[in-house]
Amino acid sequence: MNNIKHHISIASVLLLALSFVSCNIVNVEDRPDPNNTALETVVENPTPSEINTLITGTESSLRTDLRIYHINVGMIGREMYRFLAAEPRNTQDLLGGGSSELDAGSFYTSRPWAAFYTSIRNANILIESVKTITDNNAVSEAERNGIFGFAKTIKAYQYLMALTMHNENGIRKQNQTDFFSTGALLSKADSYQLVADLLDEAATHLSNAGSEFSFPLSPGFEGFDSPSTFLQFNRGLRARVAVYRGNFDAAMGFVGNSFLDASGDLKNGVYHVFSTGSNDITNPLFSNPQSGAGDSYVVHPSFVTDAESGDNRVVGNKAILRLDENGDVNTASLDELSSDYGLFVYKTQTAPMPIIKNAELLLIRAEANIHGSTPNLTAAEDDINVIRNAAGLSDYSGPQTQQALEDEMLRQRRYELFFEGHRWVDMRRYNRLGELPLDRSGDNVWESFPIPESENI
Amino acid sequence: MIKKNTKYLLGVVFLLLSQSAVAQFTVEGTVIDAQSGQALVGVNIYDPGSEQGTTTNTEGFFSLEIPAQSATLRITYVGYNQKNVEVSADNNEITIELQKSVANLDEVVVTGLASSVQRENLANAVSSVDSEQLTGTTSSQTLSSSLYGKVAGANITSNTGAPGGGMSVKLRGVTTINGSSEPLYIIDGIYLNNDAIANGSNAVTQAAAGGSSSNQDNPVNRVADLNPDEIQSIEVLKGASAAAIYGQRASGGVVIITTKRGSGGKAQFSASQSIGLTTIQKKLGQRQFTEATAESAFGPKGKALFNEAKSSNRFLDYEELMYGQEGVLSKTQISSSFGNESTSFYVSGMLQNDEGIIKTTGYEKQSIRANVDHQFTEKFNVSVSSNYIHSESRRGLTGNDNTGTTFGVSMVATPNFIDLRPENGVYPAHPFNTANQLQTRDLFSNSENVNRVLTSVKAEYDIFQKDGNYLALQFQGGVDFFSQNNKLIFPSDLQFERISAQPGTLVETNTNNLNTNTSLMLIHTFSLSENATLVSQGGYTSFNNDQNTISTVGRGILGTQTNVDQTVSVSNNQTRIYQRDRGFFIQEEFNYNDTYITTVGLRGDKSDRNGNVNEIFYYPKASFAWNISNMDFWEGNGPIDNLKLRTAYGQTGNLSTFGAKFTSLGPSNIGGSGGILITNTRGTDDIQPERQKELEAGFDISAWGGTANLSVTVYQKNISELLLQRELEPSTGFSFESFNGGGLRNRGIEASLDLTPVRNNNLNWNSTFTFSKNVSEVTDLSVPAFDVGGFGTSLGVYRVEEGKSATQIVGLDPVKDSNGNFSGDITTKKLGDGEPNFQLSWYNQLNILKNVDFSFMLHWKKGGDVINLTELLSDLNGTTADYDDTDLTFPDFVNEAGGITDDTKNGVKRASLLGVTTRQFVQDGSYLRMREIGLYYNVPTQMIEGISSALRGIRFGVSATNLFTISPYRSYDPEVSNFGNQPIAQGIEVTPYPSTKQYYFHFNIDF
Repeated sequence: MNNIKHHISIASVLLLALSFVSCNIVNVEDRPDPNNTALETVVENPTPSEINTLITGTESSLRTDLRIYHINVGMIGREMYRFLAAEPRNTQDLLGGGSSELDAGSFYTSRPWAAFYTSIRNANILIESVKTITDNNAVSEAERNGIFGFAKTIKAYQYLMALTMHNENGIRKQNQTDFFSTGALLSKADSYQLVADLLDEAATHLSNAGSEFSFPLSPGFEGFDSPSTFLQFNRGLRARVAVYRGNFDAAMGFVGNSFLDASGDLKNGVYHVFSTGSNDITNPLFSNPQSGAGDSYVVHPSFVTDAESGDNRVVGNKAILRLDENGDVNTASLDELSSDYGLFVYKTQTAPMPIIKNAELLLIRAEANIHGSTPNLTAAEDDINVIRNAAGLSDYSGPQTQQALEDEMLRQRRYELFFEGHRWVDMRRYNRLGELPLDRSGDNVWESFPIPESENI
Repeated sequence: MIKKNTKYLLGVVFLLLSQSAVAQFTVEGTVIDAQSGQALVGVNIYDPGSEQGTTTNTEGFFSLEIPAQSATLRITYVGYNQKNVEVSADNNEITIELQKSVANLDEVVVTGLASSVQRENLANAVSSVDSEQLTGTTSSQTLSSSLYGKVAGANITSNTGAPGGGMSVKLRGVTTINGSSEPLYIIDGIYLNNDAIANGSNAVTQAAAGGSSSNQDNPVNRVADLNPDEIQSIEVLKGASAAAIYGQRASGGVVIITTKRGSGGKAQFSASQSIGLTTIQKKLGQRQFTEATAESAFGPKGKALFNEAKSSNRFLDYEELMYGQEGVLSKTQISSSFGNESTSFYVSGMLQNDEGIIKTTGYEKQSIRANVDHQFTEKFNVSVSSNYIHSESRRGLTGNDNTGTTFGVSMVATPNFIDLRPENGVYPAHPFNTANQLQTRDLFSNSENVNRVLTSVKAEYDIFQKDGNYLALQFQGGVDFFSQNNKLIFPSDLQFERISAQPGTLVETNTNNLNTNTSLMLIHTFSLSENATLVSQGGYTSFNNDQNTISTVGRGILGTQTNVDQTVSVSNNQTRIYQRDRGFFIQEEFNYNDTYITTVGLRGDKSDRNGNVNEIFYYPKASFAWNISNMDFWEGNGPIDNLKLRTAYGQTGNLSTFGAKFTSLGPSNIGGSGGILITNTRGTDDIQPERQKELEAGFDISAWGGTANLSVTVYQKNISELLLQRELEPSTGFSFESFNGGGLRNRGIEASLDLTPVRNNNLNWNSTFTFSKNVSEVTDLSVPAFDVGGFGTSLGVYRVEEGKSATQIVGLDPVKDSNGNFSGDITTKKLGDGEPNFQLSWYNQLNILKNVDFSFMLHWKKGGDVINLTELLSDLNGTTADYDDTDLTFPDFVNEAGGITDDTKNGVKRASLLGVTTRQFVQDGSYLRMREIGLYYNVPTQMIEGISSALRGIRFGVSATNLFTISPYRSYDPEVSNFGNQPIAQGIEVTPYPSTKQYYFHFNIDF
């Protein structure tokens, strides 16, 4: 009797458990991320507004870790010093101080790389999700071309940035559709080909994209926010790639299809814009030129000493003399490096940062005229004089030789495009890295960043 | 036959069974405490012959009808030794004296969702702490700090000396690498939220700017809200073998808290007042400069300022100026217990107002509790517990930063010859730092306000009871809701705000959290025979959590406004977390004559934290206890009264952190348009819980009439399916993903020895030693070794590495060549371990001449290294107190590598060795500490009666916490954690809020 009752009670316990298992209160709902947009919601048949947010996010992502990128390139190109007492790797590794070398595991190598490939992934998600839209009324063929033209141009730009840093070591091509695998490491030449092909594919899309984009771009693309004007931006980048590869005749053609305008505003171009708005960022390179030496951006002394007198781009503009409260010169020193001039390229925390601008296009044309198969040194001199006059300098008066004009062209690139990521690249492609000043015995000028450790190569 | 393993309360009900009468008489009597002579309430009186029993009333009186000529009554009472008393018709008016038990073998220990076991029959080493041990000696701010040294196998450390808590509790070693290692707290059936929510000071300190997402905001974990004075007892289930029935949330162990409840009868009131002072535990001192050292450390400006100070002999003690406040502590507690036969109430209220050792810091708490128990019918009773708490903590701004703004970082940059004191309300700018800490302290504010409601209900219904069969249904539900507001105001006048592009920063963070849990259980007790009992139970449980945090940072304050919209720019952040867990359990317990006690059980759990939300994960358990002393052959003539062998096995889980399974795109806006950008962490679709398997075994011996008790337990925990994060090739567009893999093992031993060396009318001395030791090893790691805390190898990091201790600290060190000289190479190697070699605490209670109580607890932690970066920052600034001494020495090859000699100044030595070795920062964190000490006087009953008949007792005394600490550690306190509660990277010090000690005067009155 007792046993039976006991068994009944055990059975009832089990029954109770089972009934709960089967009924609703035990079913747990599988809910998406409450804090962010779930990937699944955008990869399958997205709405036009979801596409627009992907495009805006892709543009916005171009600014991620630009600070590190520009410090890398600016320091190695001996344009400036980043002094941060808490981060000795800036003044050691980047300048090759003592026995230091560029480290494949350090933030300066891995973070910009990750940032470029994140933007590329976002652009790839954009491309793949647009492909899933079956309804041509929702997004027309021309609109698709506009989106693809944008996405591929951005991808090319990001690959180019990575290639600029990693140079001889090459870059990897991201697998466009598979999130779990990555592509082979490409040689430097193949990497440039990847960038050039993407830009050219994008150009074809843009030519078939109608008269207007279906999506908004930030004010940084003001004047370049329609398929035809965006194409001019695309061709500008293509011209840059051509001179980097030494294809000067091709560069002449590309620059002709860009927004180059010898009588126009030298600053006209495409920019990264910044704001204090929500989930936006401010210009990461804005810094008070007088800030304490332990956390400061200062100009490399040679930028001031090498400047032609009267150049309005130098002291009082991009280089500000550091003074203390008594009006005495307040030299910033760290790690046996010092400078009297604070870096002041970006004057406010919302100052835009150029991606490519008219001044660079003019100097690309000058370069193509100097080194093209049929050099036109007079034309080169004319373009250089536009830049010089705008800087308050008189016309070029040096010898009219290829060599002298190459020097002058590089010099104007140095001063006009100061701290915009060019000096190191320019000296490198003209095999002139040896001309960059070494500040301490034992310092080195690096040629390429290593491939990040986490790539497991 | 009474079933000792039946739930205590239910057992009492069960005793009141029907009766029959042939020859009978009534026995009447009173039960009193043998020491104090006080009446004992609720003592069980049981006659095994007739299976009848009763309990004493509030006067200690009982009356029981015996259906025979004589009987042997069994008298049992929690916390007292059992006694058998012969009664007969002639001897039917008796007074029974009970001796307090040291071993507490009769104590009922809560071991499961619906079960409790007498300690005598327990198969696990469950630690219990009663209110006397918890708060009897001294007052403490938070629950965790009152548990120090009282639980074998628990490693309790304070993260900071800041008022309001911030404590880490780890049971039996490291149980996870990336999950939470904190135990599950259950108070009166409520699954308590113990989150540590960041206050948002990172917006100014930028402590996490180096890409570290770790929280360095010095947060309070929310278990700190509980009022320790309202707690009746705490049971600590330390590992999977004891906690398996709690399934996937119990890997860190379970702390079961029972609050005080009312008893029927005359109303009783208690009031107590503590007044105290808090001071800094240890000052580090300051460097004494000369003109030359001032110049070399601070340049020409330093030299000028030194000479200025010297000419007016104005050298300031900044530790005194900053940390020198003698903070006033005050705590008022009143409680009352009243009721009648069917309803009882416990009502209490508490007001606490504590100042800190830094001006403007402090902690306030108010708590109201009402616990109601009502017996509707003989078969149906309901218990309700409710608690409202408000706490406010003002913790200042301490710890790591990257902007020179915290008090601590400002302090290390402050030599004694500068003057930062305000003149006419104007604070001078700190000449060597971005912030003047006196100004920051006086003008900024950082307050945390928490309003919290805890409510639970427990209903029990006896479905039937007959013929040794007993079936009950139990429902439990709990709600924990809190709203936390953090407000930080950095006025635009602060030195570092003045130079900002947008001077003045406001940070406002609001969090709402709701935890709810329910369980429905059936418990069946069944007597197979006179000697064998079977208890079956099973049921369903659910747990829900919803948390919503909205944080707003406003920069550029308009005037002196404090609303975040009164700023130039505003940025917002919202984080929502949810969790839905559902589970069931079944358990079978077999007790043969209190000699063999076997339990098996199974828990099944699912959760939306898992990749597959409806997959059930199973956690089995089994245990066996053998009371050898209850065997027939046991004569009981020797000194040993009780001997028990026990072993237990169980499994638990540990859920992944929220979001591990999501692949998402986060907001990334530009030009006023909204954008989304893929995040760098790829979600893991099949993430599942970590699994812990624990086996423990031990024995308990009680000897010489309960005056000596020894309990020894060994255990091994294996944790598999660890939640790990692996790095992905960033060219995929992702940098990380979580996965399950690897393994971790903990082995340890725990022992406790209770002694009563003296027990007589004039002196009663109880002494308890608690010992524990744990050794961990990462047995399997499917990813390369990785760091889980710290600031890089050169400054010392906790590195998880296969084959090594989970808490090893690695750093740089020079390599010796074959001749013992420096070889020219620097290597990375293990330099320390965060885990102590062992911990030993010694708790003593002395009752002298009946009216004087003296108690103290000494706590010895041997080993356990700490990374001292306060010293590094002081050295780099040239302000360390021992900077100019030369007593610190290193081996010759280290000296050679660093280019120093034994005669080099300490400060220079340590700084020169930066990048060469890390051994100067990894320091021994051993200590011997007087945790608690208290001396009380109980006014004798006769004197009280002379004052008023309503008075029951008056007690007053003095106490202190952390009275002294002996430690080789070279900073404030080896108990510290810059990163808050961490499973591994606990002991890292960066300019914390210094640790404190407290002195109290107490006054209690009962009537």
